[in-house]
Amino acid sequence: MAVLWIAVLLAALTLGGFFAGRMRALQTAGGDPRLLHSLPSYSGTLVAMATLLPALILYVLVVVFRADPVLQIVVTVVGALIGLALSLRLIARDFRARNAVEAGIKGLLIAAASLAILTTIGIVLSLVFNTIEFFRLYPITKFFFGTEWTPSFGGGSELGILPLLWGTLYISFIALAVAVPIGLFAAIYLSEYATRSVRGVVKPLLEVLAGIPTIVYGLFALLTVGPFLLSIFGPAGPTAAFADGGWMHAGTAVMTAGLVMGIMLIPFVSSLSDDIINAVPQSLRDGSYGLGATKSETIKQVVLPAALPGIVGAVLLAASRAIGETMIVVLGAGAAARLSMNPFEAMTTVTAKIVSQLTGDADFASPEALVAFSLGMTLFILTLGLNIFALYIVRKYREQYE
Amino acid sequence: MSDATLHDAQPTKRSLHQIDARTKRRNAAESRFKMLGIGAIGIGIAFLVILLSTIVVNGVSAFQQSFLEVPVYLDPAKLDKKGNRDPADLKKATTFTYAPLIEKGLLEVVQTAGIETPLSKTKDMKNLISSSAAAQLRDRVLADPSLIGQTVTAKILASSRVDGYLKGRVHRAEIAQDKNITVEQLDLADALIKAGILHKSFNLDFILGSDASDSRAEQAGIGVSMLGSFYMMLVVLVLALPIGVAASIYLEEFAPKNRFTDLIEVNISNLAAVPSIVFGILGLAVFIQFAHLPQSAPLVGGLVLTLMTLPTIIISTRAALKAVPPSIRDAALGIGASKMQATFHHVLPLAMPGILTGTIIGLAQALGETAPLLLIGMVGFIATNAPDGFWDGFVSPNSAMPAQIYEWAKRADPAFYERAWGGIIILLIFLLGMNIIAIILRRKFERRW
Amino acid sequence: MNDMTFTERAVTTDEIKITARDVQVHYGETHAIKDVSVDILDKTVTAFIGPSGCGKSTFLRCLNRMNDTIDICRVEGDILLDGEDIYDKRVDPVQLRAKVGMVFQKPNPFPKSIYDNVAYGPKIHGLIRSRAELDEVVESSLRKAALWNEVKDRLHAPGTGLSGGQQQRLCIARAVATSPEVLLMDEPCSALDPIATAQVEELIDELRANFSVVIVTHSMQQAARVSQKTAFFHLGNLVEYDDTDKIFTNPTDPRTESYITGRIG
Repeated sequence: MAVLWIAVLLAALTLGGFFAGRMRALQTAGGDPRLLHSLPSYSGTLVAMATLLPALILYVLVVVFRADPVLQIVVTVVGALIGLALSLRLIARDFRARNAVEAGIKGLLIAAASLAILTTIGIVLSLVFNTIEFFRLYPITKFFFGTEWTPSFGGGSELGILPLLWGTLYISFIALAVAVPIGLFAAIYLSEYATRSVRGVVKPLLEVLAGIPTIVYGLFALLTVGPFLLSIFGPAGPTAAFADGGWMHAGTAVMTAGLVMGIMLIPFVSSLSDDIINAVPQSLRDGSYGLGATKSETIKQVVLPAALPGIVGAVLLAASRAIGETMIVVLGAGAAARLSMNPFEAMTTVTAKIVSQLTGDADFASPEALVAFSLGMTLFILTLGLNIFALYIVRKYREQYE
Repeated sequence: MSDATLHDAQPTKRSLHQIDARTKRRNAAESRFKMLGIGAIGIGIAFLVILLSTIVVNGVSAFQQSFLEVPVYLDPAKLDKKGNRDPADLKKATTFTYAPLIEKGLLEVVQTAGIETPLSKTKDMKNLISSSAAAQLRDRVLADPSLIGQTVTAKILASSRVDGYLKGRVHRAEIAQDKNITVEQLDLADALIKAGILHKSFNLDFILGSDASDSRAEQAGIGVSMLGSFYMMLVVLVLALPIGVAASIYLEEFAPKNRFTDLIEVNISNLAAVPSIVFGILGLAVFIQFAHLPQSAPLVGGLVLTLMTLPTIIISTRAALKAVPPSIRDAALGIGASKMQATFHHVLPLAMPGILTGTIIGLAQALGETAPLLLIGMVGFIATNAPDGFWDGFVSPNSAMPAQIYEWAKRADPAFYERAWGGIIILLIFLLGMNIIAIILRRKFERRW
Repeated sequence: MNDMTFTERAVTTDEIKITARDVQVHYGETHAIKDVSVDILDKTVTAFIGPSGCGKSTFLRCLNRMNDTIDICRVEGDILLDGEDIYDKRVDPVQLRAKVGMVFQKPNPFPKSIYDNVAYGPKIHGLIRSRAELDEVVESSLRKAALWNEVKDRLHAPGTGLSGGQQQRLCIARAVATSPEVLLMDEPCSALDPIATAQVEELIDELRANFSVVIVTHSMQQAARVSQKTAFFHLGNLVEYDDTDKIFTNPTDPRTESYITGRIG
């Protein structure tokens, strides 16, 4: 309950500080606010800020160092009082309270903006430390070059990343094979052919697909698409005659996850490509029409080649999405780590294994749990590389036509 | 230009009014290409329709539940052996005492209705009744001990198998191996339906209730995890909106062009594309391992989702700030306002609708996010208890709507799948509502400068 | 080339290439072209002049139906090419534009090699049967556009890497390569420096040997330098259409006189 006490006390002190600062400013001016450099409420705000901010910083520190509740309250309140007293002494007739308050606010704004850097540092640190810990327990070469993934919490696990990477890439490949042609052709139609009203209806409809949470796609893969594919490619399906007992043995498979992920990525690819195609200057199209080219000739031979770098960037961004996608593969791809070419077989991915290794009852210090952080590190570097490269390509492309 | 004669000879004149073979071919290619585009859009929309109709078809039944109307005689000899109605003593009667009373009540109903069935023992009724029914009846009696000795009509949950039979999920042909139901019991269920004792009605408990154990699919509801989601969204709103707006104001209005600013920009655009599972790892390592915040707490979930949503909010807030024309800033600065005053008094209020729209869309994204919640422990247990008070809701273990759906999808009993689809309907209704609010905000306050 | 000297003229042919009768163009609510009737001669350079927004570009774009690509644009009246109505339902604009080529205000080379830029038209219209023939067409077109000597060693370099004047001549070469009968030019020199302008103007005069050229220009000097016939547009009306030297020395309409003496526009 220390939190509640601290909150109440700090709120009281801050409010008190505000009125004290205001009053003191008015006093120094003999009650005439016109004689002051800044409005009295700025003096008040300054004192309130000087009371609250140091106290909050102290509070974070005592929480991080796990001081006992009484000490927490004492340290924070004393900090607040010191801030209040010191700032109150500053208030004078010519004191530039407004400038001080604005400098303080600017500091807060900078702190807020820096949170992005802090987050990245947090991600990197939490991955790096645990990864180092993991490689102390498990040889790094076996992790990166091992073709076996058989974790067992009793010890003696094989934790090679290759089968997971294979599953990840295979599923992403299928997803892109679905999403890129459909998304690209949809974007071409919407930006080059569709009338304004068709565009106004179809574009938001496609974007609904992007707004649906991934858990929904996961469930769709597990309960609808998987059984459907099984009924066609499974032992009881019409294709069973071609392959001994059918290609597919369970609903969860690379194809299931890839197909559903592809559906999810359609709007992603189409809206990015749409932007990029629209950035191709109209003068190029006019040049082509002026020579008597048809619309499709213009698109195929002028617009698309001109937009190609941007489209490649969009595809790379989609690939990074696919690689990092979790829920669809957790529910739709299966759990077995396998190096196989058959797309109807269950395989697993880096993200799915991060989930399974960290949601069990495993001891955090065991290599079986720590491996998740190395997987996370691999995933982070892979997607970061793709993103940076893709954003670079897209930016270069935009600059070309600006 | 004498060397350029070859090409000068006019080709044979062709009438414009006759389309030559080549143009016909080219036009055919043109319409084929156009069809490809239409086809792609058709496929996309077909997927959307299939997805949505699958959700509705599979999920609507979760909002209906099978109930039995059974008069139960609350036998004082069993429930209150001492006869003093002392609450402490009444609590000693467990659900094992109540269950036979219900079964007996049902058997009596069957017999008085004159239904012919080989089932004649109270024990035979067990599979028709949800195992949660006894607990519910017990709670009712403990709340009002004066009921003891009376015959009360209880609206009792039918068992998951009976419910599945009514909803067409359980078929006679498939129950040979099933220990939880027999063909005779299904026959009896048919007769009870005819007699008006067994019927389906709206299932408010699915929306407001809590999750239930593996064996009681009929009792599971999404209410408690909805509360978990609510707390997380509260955390995200309270943290991400001010921090996001502050960061955007700095970057858009004050930041000098230097390497530090560039570093922030690069970080934001990359964080926006980092896989969500990585944020889960961050939450696990920093908030739980390092800061020792409680596992499974909506507070931690909210913090993780805040970090994940911030880039989205920052990007849309900056767009909204950018849309305010410089003339507004110049006007404020021109009458002697400081830059800070110009920003907070003039630019920020004008950008507010855009900021709110972006925030709502960010919140909607956070509401549907599942992967990071798995890592901070918001699945794998049964979220049965509502928090004990407003503040407790932030720290007491809970699930969240998408995590609850995942949990149900993983359970072995297919009866939970219907729950999962139903949960998705509720989740999508929330998302739809949020997006509609965002659209209305944008329409109403959109300003063209 | 001095400012107001007239090129050796005397209209070389009287054969009418394009006939326009009572053409009206509406952009949504705006009546952009009102009752324009004009005869454009073969093997002649015809200049359209007039103040900005007078409709000269709009009318030019009617002649190869480039206005079709704009949704809200409506064209009425008759425009005949060699006696055939180009707005007839049977006409495919693609076929029309192969006969009536166009060069635009800003040079717009495709992001392809110089060679591919020129080869684009012949390829899509199926005008060539072999690679050797295509090479020949590319070379002769670049020669006609007076660009060959400058680019012959780097035909496979990107067209976007050329200077502004070279890019515009590349666009002309590209238009010439489809062997059109009419060449429309929409202010082809407005984005060019004076030296490049002079080169392009010289080129236009040479093109007259093979094509009927219609050029829209802002510059009266340019019209005087390159054209044999001039049409003066004002507020969507065709005010006066006559031999160029007549227009510039002895205009009939007072509005034309005001314009060429600098009082309007």
